[in-house]
Amino acid sequence: MIEQLVQRLYTLSATWDIPPLVVQLLLMVVVAVIIILFVSVSVMFLVWWERKISAHIQARFGPMRVGGWHGWAQSIADGIKLILKEDIVPQAADRIIFALAPMVVFATALTLYIIIPFGPGLIVKDLNIGVLFYISLSSLTVVGIVMAGWSSGNKYSALGALRSAAQVVSYEVPLVVSVLPVIMLAGSLRMTDIIAAQEKIWFIVPQVVAFLTFFTAALAETNRLPFDIPEAESELVAGFHVEYSGIRFAMFFMAEYANMFTVSAIAVTCFLGGWRGPALVPFLPEKFWAVFWFLTKTYFLIFVMIWLRWTLARLRVDQLMNLGWKVLLPIAFLNLGVTGVVMVLLG
Amino acid sequence: MAETVQAPVEERTKDRMEEMYVNMGPQHPSTHGVLRLLLKLDGEVVLECTPYIGYLHRCHEKIGENRTYTQVIPYTDRLDYLASMYNNWGYVLAVERLFGGDIKIPERAEYIRLILGELQRIASHLIWLGTFGLDLGNFTIFMYCFREREMILDLFESVSGQRLNYSFYRIGGVALDLPDSFVSDCKAFLEWFKPRLPEYDAITTDNIIWQKRTQGLGILPKDIALSCAASGPMLRASGIKWDLRREDPYGIYNRFEFDIPVGENGDVWDRFWVRRREMEESVKIVEQALEQLPPGEVMGKVPKKLAPPPGDLYSRVESPRGELGFYLVSDGSTKPYRYKVRSPAFVNLSTLPSIAPGHLVADMVAILGSIDIVLGEVDR
Amino acid sequence: MGLTAASMTADQILQALKERFGEAVLQGDVKGGEVRVTVTPSQSVELLGFLCSLGFEYLNCLSGVDWIGQGELEVVYNLSSLQYKHKAEVNVRIPRENPVVRSVISIWKTANWHEREVYDLLGIRFEGHPDHRRILLSEDWVGHPLRKDYEDERLVRYTPA
Repeated sequence: MIEQLVQRLYTLSATWDIPPLVVQLLLMVVVAVIIILFVSVSVMFLVWWERKISAHIQARFGPMRVGGWHGWAQSIADGIKLILKEDIVPQAADRIIFALAPMVVFATALTLYIIIPFGPGLIVKDLNIGVLFYISLSSLTVVGIVMAGWSSGNKYSALGALRSAAQVVSYEVPLVVSVLPVIMLAGSLRMTDIIAAQEKIWFIVPQVVAFLTFFTAALAETNRLPFDIPEAESELVAGFHVEYSGIRFAMFFMAEYANMFTVSAIAVTCFLGGWRGPALVPFLPEKFWAVFWFLTKTYFLIFVMIWLRWTLARLRVDQLMNLGWKVLLPIAFLNLGVTGVVMVLLG
Repeated sequence: MAETVQAPVEERTKDRMEEMYVNMGPQHPSTHGVLRLLLKLDGEVVLECTPYIGYLHRCHEKIGENRTYTQVIPYTDRLDYLASMYNNWGYVLAVERLFGGDIKIPERAEYIRLILGELQRIASHLIWLGTFGLDLGNFTIFMYCFREREMILDLFESVSGQRLNYSFYRIGGVALDLPDSFVSDCKAFLEWFKPRLPEYDAITTDNIIWQKRTQGLGILPKDIALSCAASGPMLRASGIKWDLRREDPYGIYNRFEFDIPVGENGDVWDRFWVRRREMEESVKIVEQALEQLPPGEVMGKVPKKLAPPPGDLYSRVESPRGELGFYLVSDGSTKPYRYKVRSPAFVNLSTLPSIAPGHLVADMVAILGSIDIVLGEVDR
Repeated sequence: MGLTAASMTADQILQALKERFGEAVLQGDVKGGEVRVTVTPSQSVELLGFLCSLGFEYLNCLSGVDWIGQGELEVVYNLSSLQYKHKAEVNVRIPRENPVVRSVISIWKTANWHEREVYDLLGIRFEGHPDHRRILLSEDWVGHPLRKDYEDERLVRYTPA
């Protein structure tokens, strides 16, 4: 349906003598707006959701006032507050890099939404290097974090940036290695191909080890507790974003939640069968159920992430490194080897 | 000649390249108030730690010397504001001892003092456990602990009308009798509280991350603990079984059965585990005391003009943080001639420079948390 | 020595102190099981070291008192023995004009902050202290507030009604 619409647009433009470049730009803007809207709404929902979950884990209620029903408008109010706040740049900061850093982080987080397959045909660009695209872009976040930490001119943020760099380097490797068996099984890096390959059985069944290593490494990638050492509140105050406030802080904040969604979405695509799921009520269209199952699975994984965060204590820097290099990486490699051998044996 | 000039320059640049000074505090989420630590770091490893205190200094002792003995009581609340009952107790006990046995405290008052004191110990340890959880990045235990502490504060409110600074103990007894509902309320609380401790264990003690973050860190060996005069859970975690409630009994502690938890290695874990078990022991003491609680007066015979005979005296009690001592000098007037507070947190904090070096910044936070300082008491 | 506080009563400890330090022990008695001695400043560290070797390994408290009437300052050491449950109080008196006592950090590490506090609030100097700075007040504070003749317009004195 969308393809037909786009096609008609191109033919229309050809008849009206508009160069195809303009149409392309127009389409890009439309897509970008849709992504930003989706990300904003989903982040707002996630923030509110996390606050409610954490509150109920901790025997309290969380936001209850703003908007009436269970404080549903709390995130909107917070967002408005953050936008209206004064923009403070510390004197010791490197102004240009300080301003660029949140944009880098945020832009990276947004770009990743291009490859998320919400349903059949509901993917911005079904790249033939989908997984690779995710892996390469997600590690770009750390560039923004290092920029932020360094340019703030604060020792705590510098320490946070150092930690972040070390952490991402250590966890990128097990992340990649744990996703390789999936690619081997599917025989493609394309997101839709990976989902298609899970028609008979979700990859989490043969690849449960890979799923666990991937999920752990993904937690570290997104700087979530127990791996949130770059911003470790009780040690580094707030780590790399200690000097940020207002809208700049909001960008970091949104990027963190956006990344949570991306990571969970990739995990769902690679291991939990993507959008596959039964149509519970027959008369709704197939696409609805695809999106429904995709979002349900993704939000379930996000729920697990939140659950872990409010249960566990924070790891220490060296323990984090040990876990990454000495536990996750060998397990991931072993799993890769076993998968290869089994595939060869079964032909 | 050139070489001798070169060497210091090299050293200076080495300093600048690899070592870094970081001010932790006075505004920092993990310094539990306005403590300032000057850390010399090599990467993330602490080479040197120098505490700077006094940001909350209020001339407590000078004020005390300019008030009558009774007027000092409300000021003692503000020392260790997380264990106000115990500060009251330590102070009034010191004054009573200064009278040399002339003031007789009624039985019931002794029981009330003990029950409130031990409840206060539980409340104080709960706050400690909660904030220690925050230091390690576990927010949930904090909320759990505060939920239970809130109930203790409700009990205290029903007794004294206050929730933090009670000023409830008086020289010669306590201010008021317990309300009628207190005994049943307190029993109900204890019944609620006992099953909560295993619940805390589930997210702290049994959690491998929690264990890894506390074991083997900030070890305070026996000899240094003695030389630094560490006290309370800090000393007991180092393996020295020394609890003033047992060793130098005051009040009516010698009537009750309770264990004194002792650690082995003197690391952060032991300090955590000692405090965690002390809560159980306090519950035991309160339960026994509630059973025995006698009827009667709550205020003994006290001279109208409170002027102890001349002399000096050092009196000590086992507050939740350790040995809380009051050194009083009387010149026979109604005001203390000299009034000195030996605060446990002050002395325990002074061990920090000797146990901190060699740890990571993250462990620094855990070690500092395990000392359990209250800046109101450190700075006085 | 062979002597430990274990086999000794408070009176015997006092006796041992008097024998060993003779004239330096200006005053000594036993009150409520606590040994209380006053010692000359010149022998204070030796006497405290001797007590430590007897088993008084715990310095509970170190305070200063301003005896303005006698023109003296006093440093009070409260010791106890964790093993044998003995208590002791050692007093050292020094003139107000030039108040110097010797530091006991070499015996008990805990004396470090206590001595800094006494210096800060009472102006008694401790010879041999490695880090002789103010501790509670700011470094540029003038005077020592716990002295009885300290004046500050912010101080509200007690006047009986």
